[in-house]
Amino acid sequence: MARDKNSEDFVGPIRRLLVGVLVLALVGLFLIWRIDSPRVERLRAAAIDAVVPSFDWAMAPITGAANLISDFQSYQQLRAQNQDLRRELQQMKAWKEAALQLEQENAKLLDLNNVSIDPQLTVVTGVVITDSGSPFRQSVLVNVGARDGIIDGWPTMDAIGLVGRIAGVGQNSSRVMLLTDTSSRVPVTIQPSGQKAILAGDNSLNPPLEFIENTALVRPGDRVVSSGDGGVFPADLLVGQVALGTDDRLRVRLAADYQRLEFLRVLRSQLHEVIPDPDNLLAPEAEFFGPAVIDPAVLSTSEIADG
Amino acid sequence: MAERTDGKTWIGRGVFVLLAFVLIVFDLVPLDMRPSLWAAPDLLLAATLAWVARKPRHVPVVVIAGIMLMTDFLFMRPPGLWTALVVILTEMIRRQHRDFRNMPLLVEWGTVTFGIVAITLVNRVVLAVVMAPQAPFALALIEMVGTIAIYPLVLVAAHFAFGVSRAAPGELGSKGQAI
Repeated sequence: MARDKNSEDFVGPIRRLLVGVLVLALVGLFLIWRIDSPRVERLRAAAIDAVVPSFDWAMAPITGAANLISDFQSYQQLRAQNQDLRRELQQMKAWKEAALQLEQENAKLLDLNNVSIDPQLTVVTGVVITDSGSPFRQSVLVNVGARDGIIDGWPTMDAIGLVGRIAGVGQNSSRVMLLTDTSSRVPVTIQPSGQKAILAGDNSLNPPLEFIENTALVRPGDRVVSSGDGGVFPADLLVGQVALGTDDRLRVRLAADYQRLEFLRVLRSQLHEVIPDPDNLLAPEAEFFGPAVIDPAVLSTSEIADG
Repeated sequence: MAERTDGKTWIGRGVFVLLAFVLIVFDLVPLDMRPSLWAAPDLLLAATLAWVARKPRHVPVVVIAGIMLMTDFLFMRPPGLWTALVVILTEMIRRQHRDFRNMPLLVEWGTVTFGIVAITLVNRVVLAVVMAPQAPFALALIEMVGTIAIYPLVLVAAHFAFGVSRAAPGELGSKGQAI
């Protein structure tokens, strides 16, 4: 040993003090996070916003190599896949005919009813920059943020189905909490029975359905769509299909392709109309038609007394 | 602090920061968004502990705190708590690192194991006390065991790839300072 214990005594206590202060500051940060979570989460979003986009150049080679490997694997499967696809194509041709006919019929019916599809539901498309980096949290970072008008809580889809919702917006990036995250809860409707349920993420690929009123009416294979309850999401966004899990719970096989999320569409979800007083919605003030001798005010008070 | 630092130590610090950066980026690359049934070992923690046990001069406490706080933010952990625990653990190992030189590897591994288990437990207990959301227990357990199991491999990698190994008794830096 080059030095004896005595010579260290100048530095030791000061260093220990500084480390103590550092640890206290960190614990303080944790407590502030616990007390005033939104503010610290905004700080987190800002920090990620500043750091992560500059990681791009570092990630490019890794994603490139991974893609190369998966490409090689796919070459091996190409032949088998080709035959499968041909077979599938045969079936799909029949379906295509049916779909074309249905589309024409649908267009005619919509025209007859004078329906206009909701024009307010427009999208912002973003690219996934990073995933959450931890096996415990299921979220991704996309490269659209407050700059593009993204707002907390907007639903996010890939080409087919619902993926998650915006949770945390930075200037140039925002975090999408996936449906599989343990803190994700989404109200859904199960078609065709119309049963309402909550899709509760539990860190598994197929999240379970909770609070189903009558499970007897729900079969594996039923479609699951968002219900629009509570104003969380717009209604009728495709979520997936019901499946029976190995633990005998009803779960959802998600329609979105979680294996490769690359482009995500953030839906500009408009605020729902709030109806503060549903009683007045039907009959604001009934106009009285009838014999003039009966006073409407007397009638309404007697009705209240009856009710 | 009146410490003399030679060029080698500065290079060592740079190498550690670079390694931490690479490990973080590897964690963040979005390859597969399906939730996995197992958790990979926390390589960053294992590497930090290995570096502290072998070449504490190369990992100043500020660097450890900075990197860990960054990962707290990036990996959506409660910010500060895990960083504080890792800083405390590294300080304890730093104080003992001279003793490790004369002891068999098992003692060092045992100390590190004890430390990792302790901070994982304290982390969970504190999160439970303040009623913050927790990681699933099974996954956390897998990650902890994996981190402990991979520690010797990290030591081997550190020795052969980065030249981070125990200083021999009486070894001096290029400016004659203690290591």
